[in-house]
Amino acid sequence: MKSEKPFVRLDHVKFSYYSSRGEVEALKDIDFSVEKGSFVAIVGPSGCGKSTILSIISGLLKPTGGYITFYSEEFAPPKIGYMLQHDHLLEWRDVYQNILLGLEIRKLKTPQNLELIDNLLEKYKLANVKHQKPSALSGGMRQRIALIRTLALRPDLLLLDEPFSALDYQTRLSVSKDVYDIIKSEEKTAILVTHDISEAVAMADTVILLTKPPCRVKDIIPIEFEKHGISRDEVRNSKLFQQYFDEIWRELQNENTNQ
Amino acid sequence: MKTQINSSDGQRNYMRKAKLHKLLIFWCRILVFAGFLALWQTAASFKWIDSFYFSSPLAIAKLFVHDIRDMSLLRHIGITLLESGLSFLLIIVFSVITATFFWFYPSLGKMLEPFLIVLNSLPKSALAPLIIVWLGTGPRTIILCGMSVGIFGCILNLYQAFEQTDPERLKLIETLGGNKLQKFTKIVFPQNIPTFISIAKVNIGLALVGVIIGEFLAGRQGLGYLIIYGSQVFKLDMVILSIVILCAIAMLLYGMLNLLNKKIIALWQ
Repeated sequence: MKSEKPFVRLDHVKFSYYSSRGEVEALKDIDFSVEKGSFVAIVGPSGCGKSTILSIISGLLKPTGGYITFYSEEFAPPKIGYMLQHDHLLEWRDVYQNILLGLEIRKLKTPQNLELIDNLLEKYKLANVKHQKPSALSGGMRQRIALIRTLALRPDLLLLDEPFSALDYQTRLSVSKDVYDIIKSEEKTAILVTHDISEAVAMADTVILLTKPPCRVKDIIPIEFEKHGISRDEVRNSKLFQQYFDEIWRELQNENTNQ
Repeated sequence: MKTQINSSDGQRNYMRKAKLHKLLIFWCRILVFAGFLALWQTAASFKWIDSFYFSSPLAIAKLFVHDIRDMSLLRHIGITLLESGLSFLLIIVFSVITATFFWFYPSLGKMLEPFLIVLNSLPKSALAPLIIVWLGTGPRTIILCGMSVGIFGCILNLYQAFEQTDPERLKLIETLGGNKLQKFTKIVFPQNIPTFISIAKVNIGLALVGVIIGEFLAGRQGLGYLIIYGSQVFKLDMVILSIVILCAIAMLLYGMLNLLNKKIIALWQ
């Protein structure tokens, strides 16, 4: 579903935090674009403004400089879905009510949307836990439910802010694969922020590498498993995967040692 | 692997012992109470203590039956309950409104917090004479006294609980397109309902304390009035009976809120 049209473009985006301890320049000069239907991963040293980029794209934060442009066929701003590090399922609501949260907030509890939720739950084998409390579910299941809560609002663009980092390694592998499959089969554009290089390589079409703060884009690496006939299900076992991993690892190491 | 319940002898033995221990504690409590009453009655009957000052369980029971029959006691109990209930409801309503307001306007909350802290650490009975001067004697004064004990702490605790809501959860609402009102209705308020119940549990007791202080000073009826009146005319039976009834009321109210608390906690997990 990849097309060559840019969908989001960031032009020289800057962002600074102000606090009583002084100004912190988080983003210095962020420049990249995301094509429709693509999966972009942003990787960088910890403490750099990875999450800030997502907050800026989603409009939660206003950049202190630069522009963000959305290209869309309709004359409407794109709908953006956001997945946070923790699932934040509310313990006083059951699974279904948790998924409804976004629709309630936007007053979009239409029959079509409710049907969409039912279909998603059915399709991703979560229909049987619909009326359970989140506390009864495993971390992986909770994160998948959080994804469906996001998808219920029919977003054009998904922002994933380290959504698997709170999970244990085993669960992380399987859930990140599930989430990848869901995003691809729903034909969504996605931007993933992560500090896990292998996760980025396994999921993304493009990896954007950031420098240490103040952040700039250090490198943009296309990940081309499909071109080499490697299916996404088995990338982690391929030689190419190791090559990409090593390349990114080296660049990040350089970034950490250069001062 | 399934946990084995009641299958092995060791487990059964443990369960039996645990149950026995619980039962033992329960009966010991009853025994302590009964022993206390028996000792008191014996001491009074054999004139080891002066029953004019110390009364006796039988005299109190007799008075209880008598006053229940002529309805006077029920009226006093009813009035104290009503006043406490009203104070409690007013504390809750007023605190929820104020704490909510503070959450929506944090600068206001920050500004007023030190004043509330001072008022909260004040011995509230010191306020009662002032309230009497302003409002005279009567139910209005008593209800205000009842409120004065708990309300400042209630507002503070509730406001602080609201303030401590996980900012990431509030961000979730933002990412779903919600505004500040929805942050409150979808996260802050429901998340704090268990806290709210435990604050309520404390405040129902405080309302009772305040109402009794109010009745001491400005009441014409109610258990607080009975205690003061009884002590002034040396009807110690009446004083102690009122205290016993207060114990029962406090226990009952606490028990009720505890039950509600358990139900809510179960829902909130």
